[in-house]
This record gives sequence, C-alpha cells and structure tokens, in this order.
Amino acid sequence: MTKESDYAIEVENLTKRYGDLLSVNDISFTVNRGEVFALLGPNGAGKTTAVEIIDTIRTPTSGKVTLLGMDVSKKKHDIVSRIGVLPQGFSSFDRITVRETLQYYSRLYRGRNTDIDRLIELVNLKDKSKEQYRNLSGGLRQRLGIALALVHDPEVVFLDEPTTGLDPRARHEVWEVLQGLKERGKTVLLTTHYMEEAELLADTVAIISKGKIIAMGSPGELIETNAKYHILTLQSVDEKVFEIVRKLGFEPVLDNHKDIKIRVVHTNDVQQILSAIKNSGALHLGLDVRKPNLEEVFLKLTGEALRDGHAGEEGSA
Amino acid sequence: MSPRVVGATLFVKLMSVYREKTTMFFTLAFPIILILVFGTIFMGKDNVNFQLYVQDLDQSNSSTKSVEALGESGKFKIIMVDPAANATQYIRDNKVDLVLVIPKGFEVSVIQRTILKDYKASVSITYIYDPSSSTVSTKMEILNGVLAGINLEMSGMPPFIRSVEQSILTKKYQFIEFFIPGIIAMAVMTLSLFGTVNLNTELRQKGIIRKLSTTPITRTEWVLSDILYQFILAVISTIAMLLVSYAVFDVSLHLNAWLPVFILLNVFAFVGIGMILTRFVKEAQSAAAAANAISFPMMFLSGSFFPIELMPGFLQTLARTLPLYYVNEGLRASMIFDDNLAALHDSAVIGVFAAVVFVLGIIATKWEEGR
Repeated sequence: MTKESDYAIEVENLTKRYGDLLSVNDISFTVNRGEVFALLGPNGAGKTTAVEIIDTIRTPTSGKVTLLGMDVSKKKHDIVSRIGVLPQGFSSFDRITVRETLQYYSRLYRGRNTDIDRLIELVNLKDKSKEQYRNLSGGLRQRLGIALALVHDPEVVFLDEPTTGLDPRARHEVWEVLQGLKERGKTVLLTTHYMEEAELLADTVAIISKGKIIAMGSPGELIETNAKYHILTLQSVDEKVFEIVRKLGFEPVLDNHKDIKIRVVHTNDVQQILSAIKNSGALHLGLDVRKPNLEEVFLKLTGEALRDGHAGEEGSA
Repeated sequence: MSPRVVGATLFVKLMSVYREKTTMFFTLAFPIILILVFGTIFMGKDNVNFQLYVQDLDQSNSSTKSVEALGESGKFKIIMVDPAANATQYIRDNKVDLVLVIPKGFEVSVIQRTILKDYKASVSITYIYDPSSSTVSTKMEILNGVLAGINLEMSGMPPFIRSVEQSILTKKYQFIEFFIPGIIAMAVMTLSLFGTVNLNTELRQKGIIRKLSTTPITRTEWVLSDILYQFILAVISTIAMLLVSYAVFDVSLHLNAWLPVFILLNVFAFVGIGMILTRFVKEAQSAAAAANAISFPMMFLSGSFFPIELMPGFLQTLARTLPLYYVNEGLRASMIFDDNLAALHDSAVIGVFAAVVFVLGIIATKWEEGR
C-alpha cells in the first residue's frame, strides 16, 4: 500500500492569495480514512477557502492537495465522483421537491443507483419528501444538503459550516445526522466555528487563525497540551472579591455580572484565593473548578474569540 | 457528454418554470401583447384614414361638393370648422395639426374656369398647420396628391404617365404578416438572452452553481440543457404567438421546417451570448442591465419592428452585422416569400455565428464564484 492511499486527504504547504490578502497561509495536514477532521476557526480565518481548494471548487496559489491518492489540480473529473460536498451557505432549486432534488443529483453521478428512500430516512426527511425546497426550514435545508453530499455514497465528505445559522434544536438534529456518518466510518472534513460541534464530532481538530493552522490534535490533546490550567468559577460573588483576587496576582474576568472566572495552575492557587476571600469577610455562594474547553484554548492561542461576543463570556479566564 | 445528465437538468429547469406560474404567464404573455398591440395599430396601415379639419369660408355648392370629394377619396375623415372661427387659434385651442381653408369666392372662380373657360382663373386653398406634428407633412403630401388629381380632371386632359402596381407576391399581405416574423425573432431572442442571464446569475448567487461544480456535470452538459430548455420555451411561445395571430388577425403565413430551424439557431446564438454575459456580471441587477444593453439595440436596429431601409446608411450597415437581422430576414424569407434559397443563406450566417458563440459560451461558463 502506497503512502497516498493511507490517507484520504493530504495537504502540503497550501497557500491561497487574493491580491494582497493571504487567505490561506502555507498549511499542511493529513486526514486518515474514516477520520472526522474539523477545521475550527472564526469567520474569515480561511477555513472555507482551504476546504474549497481541497474539494475542487477553487484552485490554490501554491501547494499541493492529494485526495484519495489523486492530485486535485489534475484529476478533478475523477475526484468529484468520489467526494460529496455540502458547500457553505448551501442552497437548491426553489420549486423542486426534496425527492426530485435527490433524484436529480443522483442522476449526475452516472451509473450509480441510489436508494433515495434510504437516504431520505437517513437524514430524517421522510415527512418532507414531497415538499419544495423553498418551503423547508433552515435545518431541513441543511439536512437535504447533507443528503445530497451523500447521494452517491462518496468516500470523502466535505461539510462546510453545516450548522451555521441554525437554531440550537436544528443544530442538534444535524449533529445527529453527522454522528451517523461517523458511525458508518465515512471520512469527513468539517469546518466550523462551533467549539461544541468540533468537540462532539471530530477525531482531530485543526485550529486555524488568519490562514494558518496554529494547533492540531484530538480535542483532548489540544486542551491537555495548550491549556495546563483549570478554570475556577466563583459564583454570585461579593463586589470586593474581584479586587481581592486581582491583588493576589491573578487575572479575574467578570462573567454575567455576578460570577468571576480565574485561570489557576496549581491546587494551591485555589486554596490561596479561597483563604483570602474568607479572611476579608467577603461572600461567595458557590464555586466550580473545571478543565478549559476548546474555545478557551483557541482564545489562549490566538487572543480572539471563535464567535462574536464570546470573548467576555467564557474565554478570558 | 451524458444525455441522461442533460435530460435530468432539463427536467429540473422545466419543472422550476412550470411551477412558477407568474413567470410562465409573463413569458408567454409579453410577445402576445406585442402582437396584439402592434397588430391593432398597424391593422389599417394599408387604408390610412386621417382626420382632416376643413373651414369652408365660401359656403357654396361648389365648395361643399369639393369637401365631399375629399372625403370620398378614402384618405380623410372630414371635420368641419365654423367659418366664423379663427383657424390659427382653432388649431392652438383644439390641438389640431392642420386646417384646410377654402376661401371666399371659391365658387366664382370655379364657374369662371369651368363654364366661362377663363384659364387664368384660379383659387388658393390654404393649409394652416402646426409644424411640430409628426403626421402633418404626410397629410399635406396626400392632400397635394388629391388636389393634383382634381386639377388634372378639370383640365380635361388624359394623363401621360400612368402607374401600374405589380407585387412580387401572388397574394396581397397585411402589414401584420410582415410584422409577425420580426416579433417571433425578437421574442425568442429576449427569452433566450434574459432567461439564460437571469437563471445563471440567480443560481450562481444562491451557490447552486458552486454545488454543481462539485459533481460530475460538465459545462457542455449544463449549456446544452440550457439551450434545450430555452428552445422548448421558445417553441411554446411561438405557438402561442401564431395561434393569436391566426385567431385575431386572420394571417396567412408559410409554416415550414425553417421556422423551428431559425428558432433553434436563434436560441443557440443568444444562450451563447447570455453565457458570455453571465461570466462578466456578478449581480442579478447588473445582469438585467447587461442583457438590456444587448437586446435593445438588437431589437430596434435589426429590422424586427420596421424595415432597416428607413434607417441612415451607416445604421443599415451596422444592422447587417447583427445576428437578429439574419433571423428576421430568414423567417420572412421562409414565412412570407417562401424563398428557400434566401432562408438557407440567412440560416448559414446565423448558424456560423451561433456555433462560435456557443463554443465561447461554454468556455466562458465558470463554475466558481470568483472570490
């Protein structure tokens, strides 16, 4: 077995430049067969550009992408019949029903006989199979998009921000479908700016910021390697507590106007903080110590939040 | 290339338009409305009937008979103006473009000339007119012709030169019958050009083209499905136009194999141009503007509405470089003159043009959004 066939995807020194804008900056990674790989980063980080080069929509400025052992810049025609793509902001023909849309895309893959009913069941669209696309909600549309990406039973599936813009319930419904893919052993390259999505679905996460991959590994490894500290949360604190902690040399962050979060490295740090509060006579009604999550790791590595408005919520401890 | 893929894409496009009833209605209604409006306007073109205002200051038997003779010429519907009125003021007040004034003493002059044989006797009929009117010069030319006939008759001499009309056609055609091929050519061009530009720009903006670019469908299959789709719409539209023309205007045209040939070549040419335009415009609004920029000059310069011989020389030369001119000429050659040789020549010209723009259209078709 050759080296290429060990990997579903190999990306080497990939760069994409638009004029002065360096959208993807010399990134390299590999994705094993059957692996779910997530590119995690904020809007504008270069995730979509990178994935669109890998799934043949765009061409790179430099670098090489090998997909299922084939160079994407030379073998596009052979590659497209073996990959399935849910592009960012997926849309379809407004007045064509779910079933007709699946039948149409199925016919584009010559010689493949798709079991449309099974596919409709897989993405839980049985009740909506006669509904036109324009009448579907955002979550249902994304599920149709995922079904279209799977219509020819591809070896590699690309899902570009599959849950962006969906409400929490619809997002969980899509996650259920994606977990089904994972269980079926599909190779999936996923882009997302939802930390929970990457943690829940991905075997490997690459954190991308300003076009560069700045960390890569399993969610557990990333947290272990990049966040050797814990988050101490003091709940419903007295106003004085914030100043007491700050004077001890920590960097407390006010959360929800009533809790403070403090990054602590040693068990002694917790004891020191609690003693100082007790000695001052200030009050707090509860505490919680936990490991940081991917979003906090991302913030530590890049200094920016994954999503707008999240820097002050939980990331700055 | 896979016929299965072309067929599946064609089905999706047809179902989309079939289920969008408003678009379907206006697609068919627009050319029919044009035929009805222009057909009605030009229905009586061969029997022009102008309103002619006449002020008879003589109020005599002779002047009354002369006015009746003008009415009987079939060219004018006579409206009498009060002899006491100021004719100039009457024109201004009533937005009339011309008043013919028969002077006092008209009957006396007629008697001197016809009974007393005084050949020096004459009379001046005055045209008081508004030069800003677009039809007044035509009216005066017709009046001069009628008056020349009266003068000739009064002289008692037979005319030296007589004119004999001999049409190259075995049948006398109505103007609407010349007009219909032009409208068919124009409607098919509009359908194909706007349909292609609007559809492809919309699909690109929605990201559907981007999704399709990750499937095995080729650009040739996509463009071919577009051509078949526009051809089917064009055939439906042409049938509707012909049905209305036959039912309302009782037209008589040669319907033969050239009609679908010219429709297909017209579709090929303008879907190709549409594909090239789509390559360069990003938004739906600019797409419509670009399609207008192509279609409007084409519509008015290529002889769809009126013969290009009415235009200045340099515009006639320009018209002969436009693809729609050859569709117009070819359709008229086949539908009116039944001239296969001329139709063959015109189809060859538009065929070469269509082949070139079809290839360029495929090359220009770009799947990625170009960010």
